[in-house]
Amino acid sequence: MKKNRSMIIIFLVPAVFCYLSVFFYPSVRTTFMSFYAIEGVADSFSTWDFNGIANYLKLFKTPIFKQAMSNIFLLWFVGGLGVMAVALIFAITLTSGLNGAKFFRSVIYLPNVVSAVAMGTMWINYVFNTNYGILHRIFTALRIESLASVLWTGPGTLFWSMLVAYCFGMVGYHMLIFMASIEQVPRSYHEAAKIEGANIFQRFIHVTLPFLRGCFRTNIVMWTVFTVNFFVWGQLFSPVNLSNDTVAPMNYMYEIVFGASSNSMVARDSGAGASIGVIMMIIVIIAFGLTNFIVKNDDVQL
Amino acid sequence: MKLNINKKGQAKLIPGYIVILIWVIFTFMLIGWVVFASFSTSLEIFSDEMFEFATGFHFENYVKAWNTQKVSVFFMNSLLYTTVSCFCVIMLSAPAAYVLSRFKFKGNAIIQNLIVSAMGIPVIMIVMPLFGLVTKLKLSNNRFLIMYLYVAITLPFTIFFLLSFFKSLSSTYEEAAYIDGCSPMRTFWQIMLPLVQPGIITVTIFNFITIWNEYFMSLIFANKPKVRPVAVGLFNMIQSMRYTGDWGGMFASVVIVFLPTFVLYIFLSKRIIQGVTSGAIKG
Repeated sequence: MKKNRSMIIIFLVPAVFCYLSVFFYPSVRTTFMSFYAIEGVADSFSTWDFNGIANYLKLFKTPIFKQAMSNIFLLWFVGGLGVMAVALIFAITLTSGLNGAKFFRSVIYLPNVVSAVAMGTMWINYVFNTNYGILHRIFTALRIESLASVLWTGPGTLFWSMLVAYCFGMVGYHMLIFMASIEQVPRSYHEAAKIEGANIFQRFIHVTLPFLRGCFRTNIVMWTVFTVNFFVWGQLFSPVNLSNDTVAPMNYMYEIVFGASSNSMVARDSGAGASIGVIMMIIVIIAFGLTNFIVKNDDVQL
Repeated sequence: MKLNINKKGQAKLIPGYIVILIWVIFTFMLIGWVVFASFSTSLEIFSDEMFEFATGFHFENYVKAWNTQKVSVFFMNSLLYTTVSCFCVIMLSAPAAYVLSRFKFKGNAIIQNLIVSAMGIPVIMIVMPLFGLVTKLKLSNNRFLIMYLYVAITLPFTIFFLLSFFKSLSSTYEEAAYIDGCSPMRTFWQIMLPLVQPGIITVTIFNFITIWNEYFMSLIFANKPKVRPVAVGLFNMIQSMRYTGDWGGMFASVVIVFLPTFVLYIFLSKRIIQGVTSGAIKG
């Protein structure tokens, strides 16, 4: 047993150190930072100035932050509904014994393995291009002039273009999770329902759906985590300055903490940046808690 | 009889089937177009005569992107970071996952929960103190630091993923090894670790893709061109090529950057998909 003890310590210490240094310590410090007025991100503790929840209050009075929150809310809600609906339809279709289902599944998941920067470039320069883009060509061919001349990456439509491009890549991941759960439904349940005369929709609602509760939770939690980490796409669609159409809390935080964009109109404010981090963390915790609460007394263990 | 029912059921799936077909064709068009564009000149791309290749295939786009646009530097950086980090994260996670899955001790459950919950921590929650620390230690743009961060961000998922593999192994292996006088440590390295090889391979493919495509951490901690990995490098290149108007070269860079993970996926898609689903169901 004593031998085991030294082994436990030797095997665990490097991983735990890694965890403490990169996750635990920074999370705690960020939480503290969010209650202080701090200008530079590397400023030492002695220059911090406690100001309670002033950072949070200030953020919710800043128009661009409110815009960022409403953007990710729309992305989470509208995009989430779309992604989950498409993912579920695809999952049902692909698990019903189609020819080539495995191939289709692989292609649909493909955008998840390609760098977001590469995917975004393809969308911006090909799909949404107003000279030779797919959308322009399709609408020209269909003679819908009003749609053929739309500036997809222009003001007003930019947010929705970005949302579609982003969600397109996310469908594959959520589809795979739905598929895995659907495949776990015992065949005999379906056979029994079929014999009783249930049609495909009835079978889905009464047989498959109860099995999917667990994976709805996984999907919603993961979708929330992805949404609060939304950053690259916003940068790709508005590469130079923050724009109201594409800003997400993380883009705003990057701007006020690391101040990288070309205009220096925004003052450095690391305290507020930390508050954004905390707000995002709280959103994830709420999503996790709520979904846990909803499927708590679930006898179907997935 | 069974066939009939199946066919009847499938008729109702036709709308879903059509959407999937359109979706798949669209995906191919996206990727195919960028590949074609990477062999064309800027003029051809804009004049809509790209697919004619009137002036032939422009392989020089790739040569140009590789040499003058520093794609080679970013590519080699990423290759180094990714392989080293993928190896190190296994070396850290496998022993930890083994100990956590095998031994009862105080704090085991807490450690497991903390590590799993780290997967939900947004990166903006951790990035500021890390930056402060790195500045203080004068480690910004240090290759070791970048790799350490990559190891750390892939660590929770790797431990979580390997835990279930170790849990599924029978303890008779260890008992037999113990009777033969093999020390617990040696048992781990020589018997248990090889047994979870399938899990290690799957999670390494995942880690490879994650690290190759990682953007935010690299943006903040690797901002000098010399140490930049591909994702951030590509972003900067795209911005600069927009101004110089070298569209062929820009798309060639895009292809070079997504090719490694794309090829990996073509050969290993089955494994990757199994990994997504097995990891998700247990969570």
